[in-house]
Parts: sequence; C-alpha cells; structure tokens
Amino acid sequence: MGRVPALLVTHADLAEALVRAAEKVYGPVEDVERLSNDGLSRAALEHEIVSRVSLWPAGGLVLIDFWGGSCFICGVSAARGREVVVLTGINLPALLDYLHNREALGVVELAERLRTKGQESFRLQRAPAA
Amino acid sequence: MTWSLHRIDDRLIHGQVLVAWGHRLHPQRIWVVDDASAASAWERELLVSSAPDIDVRVVSVAEAAEIHAVEHAAAGGAFLLVRDLQTALALIERGAAVVTFIVGGLHYAPGKDKVHESVYLDAADRAAARALLARGVALPVQDVPASRSQPLEKLDPSLVRGGAGSAP
Repeated sequence: MGRVPALLVTHADLAEALVRAAEKVYGPVEDVERLSNDGLSRAALEHEIVSRVSLWPAGGLVLIDFWGGSCFICGVSAARGREVVVLTGINLPALLDYLHNREALGVVELAERLRTKGQESFRLQRAPAA
Repeated sequence: MTWSLHRIDDRLIHGQVLVAWGHRLHPQRIWVVDDASAASAWERELLVSSAPDIDVRVVSVAEAAEIHAVEHAAAGGAFLLVRDLQTALALIERGAAVVTFIVGGLHYAPGKDKVHESVYLDAADRAAARALLARGVALPVQDVPASRSQPLEKLDPSLVRGGAGSAP
C-alpha cells in the first residue's frame, strides 16, 4: 500500500506551525503539503488546492482547521469528483497519527481513524481536591 | 429584529462571517445572494452545510430583491452576503433598501490594486462603488467587528473625485 498524501489548509500559518510542532515530536516530516488561505479569494484558494490534489494518483486527505471556513468550502469544492476526503478540526495529535499510519491504511480508513484520534485527543484532567 | 449585516465578501460564507460576526450578532438566517451559487444545487448544498446551526438560504439577486423587505420584518437577525460590489449594486437597483454594505473582503486578482489589507479593486469595482455611494449606500471596510471601520471612499479617494478608476 502506498503513502496516502495530505494537504494541510488552514488560516494564517497554522499549517506550517502544526508541521513544525509535529517535527519536534515525530522527527523530520516529508510529503505533507501546507497551504494558507491568507490573502486568497475563494476562487484563488480553490485553484491552489486543486492544483495540488489533482497530482495525487490515488486520492488523499485535505486536512482543514475548522468546518465552515473558506478552507473548508474550498477544500470540499476541490475534492468534488476526486478520491479525496476532507477532514476538519485537524490538530497535533491527529497529524501525528496521520504520520504514523499514512502508509498502512487507505484514504477513507485513515480519515476515519484520524477523526476518532482527533476527537479522543480532547480530555479533561482535574487535579484532585486537596 | 431585522437585517443585522449586509456584507460584500468574495468568500461569501467563511470564518469571519461565522465566527466573528456570527458570535457577535447571532443571526438566525444567512442569505447568500449569488446568481451562480443559486443556480447550482451542489453549491447551494455546500453553502448550507457550512453553517449547520444557521438557516442558510442561497438565492439569486432577483429573489433576494423580492424577499428583502419581507425579511426586514421577520423575527430574528439575518445576514445578507454578496460576493462583489456589482452584485450589491444590482440588488439595490432592483429595489432592496440597503443603507450600508460592509466591505469585508475583496481579495487580490489580476488587474486589481490594493486599497486596504483585505480590499483590492479594479475599474469595474470602482464604477460599482461610485454608483452605490451615489445612491447613498455607505461602504465601510471592516473585516471583523473588532477591527476599525473605515469608509471605502477614504481609503480610495478616487471614488469621490469622479476619477476614471485610477488607483489612489
């Protein structure tokens, strides 16, 4: 099974920052594309995403910061008609899990796993009462 | 309640609208006024899905002009979004009584020049802006509620000099 490609699309420099943070934990990260929506119209952002995902021979993941934003709208538009899954709410635990499993799972199976891992990453820990 | 926001933004529904303006004004409905989007079932579904907690309606300019006065009297706040100055003008010309269109984002494209961090205009944009201003429609530039509102014509004085569309 080949490596499932991924494109991070976020506001500001979150995508770059997430990869930098992942490298602190995981080591050097290769083949994770990053794109910011800064200064881009919807048409321009969608074009930038399409130009990347159209090069994927067997689909891949578009990892978005949050549902409903321009990254989401353009990601879904760019994924239309392709074997591309859009996952919103990307965070560091989910990105790390992607890096560990991108060569072991298919696109859809990996996307489902990352959704679960991302959701499970939110935990509450309260200090016991003194 | 009535219309709480009329906004010009080439991204239509996006983070600034849902997060910043949405949390400030709590709209019950978002009307996306865009002929191309209204004509596409796929695009309508995408826009509706982008804001699952809000009633999103995607309509043409002609439909929006018809419902504008009705929505004005409806319960709950509502947002109206158009993608460009030309659509805003078309809506006004069809009779919608809009006093203010906030210019939220008109991003760079070839042939457009910068008048603000989030606003780029070309000659057609300026012609539409002049027509709107001539009709008494205010065009403050403001991306999010916390940012400073600045009149578009102050950022681009050519709009009130009657110039031929040259950049300031």
